[in-house]
Amino acid sequence: MDLLDKLSILADAAKYDVSCSSSGSSRKNTPGGIGNGARTGICHSWSDDGRCISLLKILFTNYCIYNCTYCINRAGNERPRAAFTPRELADLTINFYRRNYIEGLFLSSAVLRNPDYTMEQLLKTVRILRKEYKFNGYIHLKAIPGADLSLIFEAGKYADRMSVNIELPTRQSLKMLAPEKDFTAILTPMKNIGQAIRQNQEEKKKYRKAGPFVPAGQSTQLIVGASPETDYQVLKVSENLYGQFNMRRIYYSAYVPVNKDSILPALKSPPLLREHRLYQADWLLRFYKFRADELLSEEKPDFDLELDPKANWALRHLEYFPVEINKADYELLLRVPGIGVKSARRIVTARRNGSLSYYDLEKFGTVLKRARYFITCQGKYYGGIPIREDLVKSRLLSAGDRQQLSLFSQE
Amino acid sequence: MDYFIYDGSFQGLLTAIYEAFYSKNQVGGILREDEYQPAFFANKIPVEADLQKSDQLYLAIKNKISPQSLRKIYYVFLSEKKETGLLIYHYLRLGFKIGRKIDSYLNHELVARLNQLSGKVSREAHLLKGLLRFRKIEGGVFYAPFEPDYNIITLLAAHFARRLADQDWLIHDKRRGLAAVYNREEWLLTDMVNLPDLRLTEEEKHYQRLWQSFYQHIAIEARKNPRLQVQNMPRRYWKYLIEK
Ligand code: SF4
Repeated sequence: MDLLDKLSILADAAKYDVSCSSSGSSRKNTPGGIGNGARTGICHSWSDDGRCISLLKILFTNYCIYNCTYCINRAGNERPRAAFTPRELADLTINFYRRNYIEGLFLSSAVLRNPDYTMEQLLKTVRILRKEYKFNGYIHLKAIPGADLSLIFEAGKYADRMSVNIELPTRQSLKMLAPEKDFTAILTPMKNIGQAIRQNQEEKKKYRKAGPFVPAGQSTQLIVGASPETDYQVLKVSENLYGQFNMRRIYYSAYVPVNKDSILPALKSPPLLREHRLYQADWLLRFYKFRADELLSEEKPDFDLELDPKANWALRHLEYFPVEINKADYELLLRVPGIGVKSARRIVTARRNGSLSYYDLEKFGTVLKRARYFITCQGKYYGGIPIREDLVKSRLLSAGDRQQLSLFSQE
Repeated sequence: MDYFIYDGSFQGLLTAIYEAFYSKNQVGGILREDEYQPAFFANKIPVEADLQKSDQLYLAIKNKISPQSLRKIYYVFLSEKKETGLLIYHYLRLGFKIGRKIDSYLNHELVARLNQLSGKVSREAHLLKGLLRFRKIEGGVFYAPFEPDYNIITLLAAHFARRLADQDWLIHDKRRGLAAVYNREEWLLTDMVNLPDLRLTEEEKHYQRLWQSFYQHIAIEARKNPRLQVQNMPRRYWKYLIEK
């Protein structure tokens, strides 16, 4: 089989992994070497589904010994199969990189023969890249659950980021949809990688020379909509992962029905808006100091599809508002709908030089379309309507969420 | 009113501003030759770029105001927008008065305008660090043509000199007739309108096909979203993409 066919098959098989980020690495180029990291990450293209292409996202192989129900590569599916050699894949990466198609490689794999064998192939590939080709671009590597931990640890020395996908948020769902997989087998490498990252960070503080270990952190992916969990359950899982496993990022992947199976839900289209809401909420956990319990509860376990999670929270907590822009601390500013991290920082910076008016905010580019119902500037309220849940809600709905909605619905 | 005319280079601009600081008359403009429109009462003063003066001002901005301000001024210069000379002049006058604090006066008219413009340039540079495409041409050089809104070629050259350090490359701004040429040691900027021979190697065609195929297969059909795609990647940048 020629390289073009392999690439087609194995890119196609990799596309359901939604992560493509190349951020978090500031790896420098070495003398005679090629490549470096860009800390904020760089997108190199956008595919027809509108998603950023940053890395050569590819499977080493799609031959699989397992038969997970939701997965297109399951053993029981009849489809074209292929496998690279480590050399082929390393050459492909370098040549794409030289043309500036990519930031680096995101290498994952189905399970060929057994987890150890598969992990060894991935390891060979990145060893060629880092050692032989002196490649210093970004590498995201999948840890294959069940592979020997020593293999996973070695991989961590070469990779910028590693990930183990949980895919299903609960033990029960995993048992039902991926009966050969075992929750513990997934959590074990995750836990170990998390610990090793922490250890490495401490070593680095002590001796400068300690080599890197997964410097861009670990991530994982949860499939949304293939199993019956509520948003509340999903978000709780995320919160725990961030807290316990030193997780840098969690990706949510709207379930795309690829197999027909009676135990899978029949969806007309992937739940993209739900996925979007989870990303927003995830953002609130990581950068806005929200807790999952503030956003959802047993009684109200799913996100409102009409209104984003922060606006929703604010409408249920009008007792905090309006906040005075010149007094509210940074954390409180972050809770105002329409004020993001950037705007909150700007406000805190600019007001050091004197009190800010409504027009000052506009001048440095804070969009007040939504925020105006929740703030005062120098004591004045610019919302124009009483702060009442129903009134503000209807204004918010006409102010912008509609536009956002259409971006995430199907054309 | 004095109008200082510079040669279009950054050194020229800094020299002109340097001179303007010492002008006793009111400063009406700091302009490139092509921006200048003759007017009554205008006192036109041509300024030749002077390395010593521009260096002196450069260091003063860096040390007495801030490196951040210096970077933003350079970006605003790269925007090639009208009236940027005067904007930078007034910004610097304020900066030398209040020092590094100027970076936090986000609501000040001048600071806001400078930030806005430098932000645009910085965003385009970031976008093109991703979207620039190199092609290997016969002779082994990697060639990357593009047509940016702003004059960002120096920003890209610095980026790729760190990154694609072990290959010969040439970045070509076809809109401005400028090229950055790199020989595995250093890069330099030169005028370039046309290129001799751009025949692609067989190897190049092979990798282009591979990339096109990757690009097609990585999209999820059920999530197709052309609007989101164009929002992220405006159409005017598609011309030199291999995959489009
Ligand atoms: S092990 Fe991975 S590739 Fe194999 S069937 Fe399960 S999810 Fe798919």
